[in-house]
Amino acid sequence: MKDVKDIYVFAIESSCDETSCSIVKNGKEEIATVVLSQIDIHKDFGGVVPEIASRHHVKNITIVIEECLTKANMTMEEMDAIAVTYGPGLIGSLLVGVEAAKTLAYLYQKPLIPVHHISGHIYANNLKEELKFPLIALVVSGGHTELIYMKDHYCFEKIGGTLDDAVGECYDKVARIIDVPYPGGPTIDKWAQLGEDTYHLPLPLNDDSYNFSFSGLKSAVINLVHNEKQRNQPIRKKDLATSFQNTVVKIISKKTMKALKDYQVKNLIIAGGVAANHGIRETLTTLCEQENITCSIPDIKYCTDNAAMIAASGYYAYCLGRVGDLDLNPKSSIILK
Amino acid sequence: MTILYIDTTTNYLYSAISINNQITGEIKAKLDKDLSVFTLPKIKEMLEDNQVDPKEVDKLLVVNGPGSFTGIRIGVTIAKTYAWSLKKKISILSSLKVMALSAKKECTYKVPFIDARRGYGYAAIYDENYKAVLKEQYMSIEALKCALEHLPDNYTIITNTPIEGLESNCEEYDPNFAKIVEYCKDSVELNPHAVNPNYLKLTEAEEKQKEELI
Repeated sequence: MKDVKDIYVFAIESSCDETSCSIVKNGKEEIATVVLSQIDIHKDFGGVVPEIASRHHVKNITIVIEECLTKANMTMEEMDAIAVTYGPGLIGSLLVGVEAAKTLAYLYQKPLIPVHHISGHIYANNLKEELKFPLIALVVSGGHTELIYMKDHYCFEKIGGTLDDAVGECYDKVARIIDVPYPGGPTIDKWAQLGEDTYHLPLPLNDDSYNFSFSGLKSAVINLVHNEKQRNQPIRKKDLATSFQNTVVKIISKKTMKALKDYQVKNLIIAGGVAANHGIRETLTTLCEQENITCSIPDIKYCTDNAAMIAASGYYAYCLGRVGDLDLNPKSSIILK
Repeated sequence: MTILYIDTTTNYLYSAISINNQITGEIKAKLDKDLSVFTLPKIKEMLEDNQVDPKEVDKLLVVNGPGSFTGIRIGVTIAKTYAWSLKKKISILSSLKVMALSAKKECTYKVPFIDARRGYGYAAIYDENYKAVLKEQYMSIEALKCALEHLPDNYTIITNTPIEGLESNCEEYDPNFAKIVEYCKDSVELNPHAVNPNYLKLTEAEEKQKEELI
C-alpha cells in the first residue's frame, strides 16, 4: 500500500479579540494550539473595542506563533500550508493575522490558504469526529446566527440567518440591560438554569423561513425592564434569564429541526461560541435523539474563536487547491462559499 | 550587509534595499486603501529584481510610527514576523525622524508633519544635528504654528499634506533612502517580539475612560 503523507497545516486566527495559532494534522488531529485572549482588557470597556483589539494582536502575534511551534516541537519548514482567517471579522484585527500569514507563506514558500471564519467554526467539529454529509450546520456566536446546508466538504449553502442581531450579541445586550458585566452571555445561561419562565416573552420571527431576528426580543426585554421599574417592581433576574433563554432556544430549535426535516438530513452540527450554551446544547441534543439525527457539538474549547478550527478547515481547502496569493486582503464581511 | 527598509506609516509604501551601503532597489508607491494588498507583493518583487533571497537580508529597518494606525500595523507586522522567523536583526525608526532626514531645503530646522485630520497632526522639530527641539507629538496645527513662530531661525516643513497658510514653507516628502539607511543602520537592535507600533495616541475608548477617571 502506498504511504500517504501526513499534511500539517499551521493556522492563524485573529478575527476578533483572540490571537491564536494552531497546528493540525490531516484536518482532524490537533498537534498544538495557543489562544491569547484579550477578554480581560475589553471587559473594562463593556465590549470589544476594535482599535484596542488590533493593537494587542500586533503586540502578540509573533509570541503566539513561537509558542505554538514550541508547544508542537515543530518548525515552520515542516508545515505543508499556512492557513489564515481572512474574514468576516474586525478588519484591523484580521489584518494582523493576514499580514503575518502572508509573510510566513512568502518566506517559507508555503501555500497560503484563506479561510472563512464560519467555515472554521463548522470544521471545529472535525477535530472531534469527521464530518458526515449531508449535514446542517447551526452556527451561533457573538457575530453570527446561520443555518448552513452542506452536501460535501466545502459545499456551503446558507439557507437562513439573522436579519439583525446575532444571538450571542443579543445575550450580551440583554445581560447589559440587567447590569450583568460583559461578557454577560454565559451568566444569563447560568441563571437560566435557576429561574422560571414567568415573563413569557414573544417568539421572534416565528414564521416558516429559516431566518432569525433577535432585535425585537431585545426590545421586548428593554420594555419589560423599563415598565417594571416604572411600577417599582423589582426585576427577577433569574426568571428573566430563563424566560429569555427559553424563547431563544425555542425559536432556534424550531427552525433548525425544520431545516433538518425539509432537507432530509440526518446530521446536525452546532458551532460557534454560543454552542457552549447549555439550553441550546441540551434541547437540540434531545430533539435530535427523538428524530434519530446525529447531533455533533465541538468541545467547549473549540466553540470560542481558535486557530485549530481554521487549520482543520484549511486542510480541506488545501486539498481542494483553494490557495490564495500574497495580495490576499482581509474582509470584514464575506459570503461563505 | 543587506538591509531591508519598510515604511507604511502613511498611505504610501516606501521601501528600499541597501546592499553594502548602496541603495539597489526602492519603492515609492501611493497605495492608499491597497496598502495591505500590495505591500508584501511589491517588497517581494523588489527583492527578486535585485536577486536578493529573503534569507540573505541581514537587517530590517521598520518605521513604527507615528502615522496611520492601520498603516503602521501592516509594516510592523510584516517586519517583526520576518525578523522573528528568519532570526534577522531589526531596528525601529520614527516616521518623523526619517522625514526630517529627507529634507531637501537647507534650513536650520526640519519640521516633519503628518496630517491626522480635524486640525491635528503628528509633528516634531529637529535642529541641524537632527536633535529634537520639539519632541514628536500629536498636536493641533494651531499649536504647531505657534511653536514655529518662536523658532529663532529658518525652517522647512516636510509633509505630504501642506499646512494651510504655510504652503511656502512646505516641501513634499520624498524619502532619501540613502541618507535614512546611512543614519539609522546602527540603531539599537530589538528582539522582534518587542517591536511594536508607536501610535503616540491612545485609542478614543481609552481617552474617554481616562477623562472619566479625571
